[in-house]
Amino acid sequence: MNKNALPRRAVPAPTASREVSYRHGEPSPELKLVTDALFRHIGKPVPRKEDERLITGKGRFTDDFNLPGQVYAAMVRSPHPHAVIGRTDASAALALPGVLAVLTPEDMLADDLQPIPHNPVPSTNYDVKLRASDGSFPFVGPHYPLPLKKVRHVGEVVALVVAETPALAEEASELVDVEYDVLPHVTATAEAFQEGAPAVWDEVPDNVLVDSRFGDEEGTDAAFRRAAHVVKRRFHIDRVTAVTIEPRAALGHFDAETGRYTLYAGSGGAVRQKGEISKVLGVDRERLRVLSFDVGGNFGARNRVYVEFPLILWASRRVGRPVKFTATRSESFLTEYQGRDLITTVELAFDEAGYILAMRADNISNVGARCVSLSPLSKGSGLISGSYHIPCATLRARAIFTNTMCTQAYRSSGRPEVTFAIERMMDLAAEELGMDRVELRRRNLVPPDAMPYTNPVGQHYDSGEYEKNMDRAIELSDWDGFEARKAEARARGKLLGRGFANYVESSIGTPRERAEITVTEDGRVEVIIGTQPSGQGHETSFAQVVADMLGVPVERVQIILGDTDIVKEGGGSHSGRSMRHAGTVMAIASAELLADAKSRFADLHGINSSDIDFHDGVFSAAGVSTDIFALAQATAADKGALHAAHTNEMHTPVFPNGTAICEIEVCMHTGAPVITRYVTVDDVGRCINPLIVHGQTHGGIAQGVGQAMWELCAIDEETGQPSAGSFMDYGMPRSDNMPSFTCEIAEVHSPTNPLGIKAGGEGGTTPALAVIVSAIVDALSEFGVRDISMPVTPQRIWQAMRSAQRNQDNLDRSNR
Amino acid sequence: MTLVNLTVNGQERECDVPDGTLLVHLLRDHLGMTGTHVGCDTSQCGACTVILNGEAVKSCTILAASVGNAELQTVEGLAEGDSLHDVQTAFRTHHGLQCGFCTPGMIMAAVNMIDRHKGQLDETLVRHDLEGNLCRCTGYHNIVKAILSAAETYRARHQAAMAQG
Repeated sequence: MNKNALPRRAVPAPTASREVSYRHGEPSPELKLVTDALFRHIGKPVPRKEDERLITGKGRFTDDFNLPGQVYAAMVRSPHPHAVIGRTDASAALALPGVLAVLTPEDMLADDLQPIPHNPVPSTNYDVKLRASDGSFPFVGPHYPLPLKKVRHVGEVVALVVAETPALAEEASELVDVEYDVLPHVTATAEAFQEGAPAVWDEVPDNVLVDSRFGDEEGTDAAFRRAAHVVKRRFHIDRVTAVTIEPRAALGHFDAETGRYTLYAGSGGAVRQKGEISKVLGVDRERLRVLSFDVGGNFGARNRVYVEFPLILWASRRVGRPVKFTATRSESFLTEYQGRDLITTVELAFDEAGYILAMRADNISNVGARCVSLSPLSKGSGLISGSYHIPCATLRARAIFTNTMCTQAYRSSGRPEVTFAIERMMDLAAEELGMDRVELRRRNLVPPDAMPYTNPVGQHYDSGEYEKNMDRAIELSDWDGFEARKAEARARGKLLGRGFANYVESSIGTPRERAEITVTEDGRVEVIIGTQPSGQGHETSFAQVVADMLGVPVERVQIILGDTDIVKEGGGSHSGRSMRHAGTVMAIASAELLADAKSRFADLHGINSSDIDFHDGVFSAAGVSTDIFALAQATAADKGALHAAHTNEMHTPVFPNGTAICEIEVCMHTGAPVITRYVTVDDVGRCINPLIVHGQTHGGIAQGVGQAMWELCAIDEETGQPSAGSFMDYGMPRSDNMPSFTCEIAEVHSPTNPLGIKAGGEGGTTPALAVIVSAIVDALSEFGVRDISMPVTPQRIWQAMRSAQRNQDNLDRSNR
Repeated sequence: MTLVNLTVNGQERECDVPDGTLLVHLLRDHLGMTGTHVGCDTSQCGACTVILNGEAVKSCTILAASVGNAELQTVEGLAEGDSLHDVQTAFRTHHGLQCGFCTPGMIMAAVNMIDRHKGQLDETLVRHDLEGNLCRCTGYHNIVKAILSAAETYRARHQAAMAQG
């Protein structure tokens, strides 16, 4: 491959005025000491501290908790996608012995429960500003725990039943008779904003709650006028669901004596749950304690409050007993917050040499029946130009209501969608321009010397060596051996295709995080932090960070999470924020703790603090030395516990990036695809624990591949009924349909935070949709297939081969 | 109600349970053994896998009343004191778990798979045999690695035992 086929185009120099918060001012001497002393444990594949309990059956998942006297809740759910709720007759249910209560929207209003304050509009300085078409703040649709007048999607809870046993609650829920006056519905993304579509909310008659335009319209139009080639396509990145293997569960208890509520519920962050659920219940924050220990997967689906959580707390107050709810898998498929569902229309203008001049994008996000989060639309909007230098662009971003379950951020919120679009466009453009697809990408990549780089919709890419990632992935994939592998596969009746995709994504997340670090007298370091792992191994990687900072063994550091009586603040875990935010605040708190320790050591020995040396957890000067634990013990009586607490706010986003390459064999006779090779290079910034980061990447890949090949929340448009309600009808990545991966971590440290962290894991998902479809299309290229929609099931592939072949035959016949 | 007698991890247990009780709920709700998990209701996910009379089975679709006098092994019974089972060690060493919810089922399926095949496993066979256990976190890569490693340990132990004869 000739890298120098054409001279590179000049890309604007880095924007000097760009704000990088960490660069302001010099770091304190302690923080400098801390960053200089790094890294004894950081960067090492330390096995996880949390594993011991999880491999021996001693995990603490929500459904593992029970309280004396507990009773059980079952939900009565709407069978209709859109209907006015009529009379509810609970007499048959209440007549069953052991049924304690049936609670309805009227009861809820009588007790004055409030809507869940989801706060769906991203609002940091770096988020694109999404507004209604008249510029006003979008109407999001109030999310009461029980709907007031209408149901707006199948599965919406209309009443709950509380009974002595789960089986009884279930049986009674089927006896609750709810009358419905069925209304016309709309579920399809492409239909909801068309004239005459039924309105999901009277307040938004056209269903379009957000309609915002960004970019340079004049410049873009001018660039399109002088373009040598224009390529335009529309893609639908359809709806999938998170499928945490642990179905959501909750155990709620109201203590009448203290007037306090307690909720056991796994989530993406207990502090957020406490804040929002206390508002639903109309009580002071401190009257609710939320406990979230081991969480059996999140991927975004558990970041927001589920109606069942406030409902069971309220029910507990009503019946005077603890109430437990455990969702069935079907309830999870119906009503777990879902992901993706974006229609994007993209136009690229190229010059003669294949340089991109401009881009137009029109993105339509289906938020479902209520707007719980605009993160997917917002995140994606900022990244429409991907890894490429596109001088100017315009974007129209719309969000629409439909009669479907709400969507939320899901595994790399918004990024796989736009990465799919730009990377498919690069493949399609290469084909139309008659260029090599790698060379076309190479020509347009943002070069390292343009970093930090401002993209055409105003996002500031912090750092990255995109071309290097690409070259390394090409090398790892044995690019040159492909033709031989293809010929060998062909001899076995298989078509081998190769997929290629670059990506850049953003990690923003809630900007505040707090760390409290205490050196205990019994020789431990306790760290209280407000993130919430669901498999990411914070108890290990965070301990590695603090151990390095304080020069103590990892085993001595204990991370405390998930109980809001202890953890008072914290942004939870989403958007790849945890290590970056927690790492930074832990570094600062550690530095403060060391400064205090140093002055204690100076006082203890009557020496000048500037002469003190600190190494491996030991302070020494003038022939005396004390380790940090002994120092804590010796000074506790006079000065209290050796402790530091710090709250940090960090807004600047980071931009993980990389390349994925895969190969897929398609059976010529059946269309069945098999992934035979999957290679990634991911720039995660500084990597704290490669064992964990690789694991995160692997899982991320599987979720992206899952959407590309099998997963789909299928809905029958005519009836509005979801038809994927169990693992029997929702295709999943399984051990026998996934390959082993070749993953390499690239570490280009981010200049935006003291540890140089970007984020890991979601980078596995971001390019996966594009790379799979790219490989399938490549495999089928000899049939004349140019594009195919996801999921690329054997049936779709077979149909694409046959219809392309039929078209070719017809063409041949008419030419004869 | 039905009286069920069975041996769980070597201990004889007697439970009086409602007739419709599933084996997994006998473990979780009546014996307080919450290591075995429920991830679905269609025998698809495998989070509830236990070893019943030497066979890996999904305990969410077996009536407790139907397994009278059975020998049952669960994840809680694998380690001997502080000494972990080889499969448990391999899952930790190779980072074969993340959130840990599918892990007990995965480990029980793996233990049984290695026993059944006497440690003679390769990647294709592991991937084929593990198809009934779903994991959403790991992409299976490190689980497969862990099982192959534990199988190797099994073979080494077996050979050592043979050599000692």
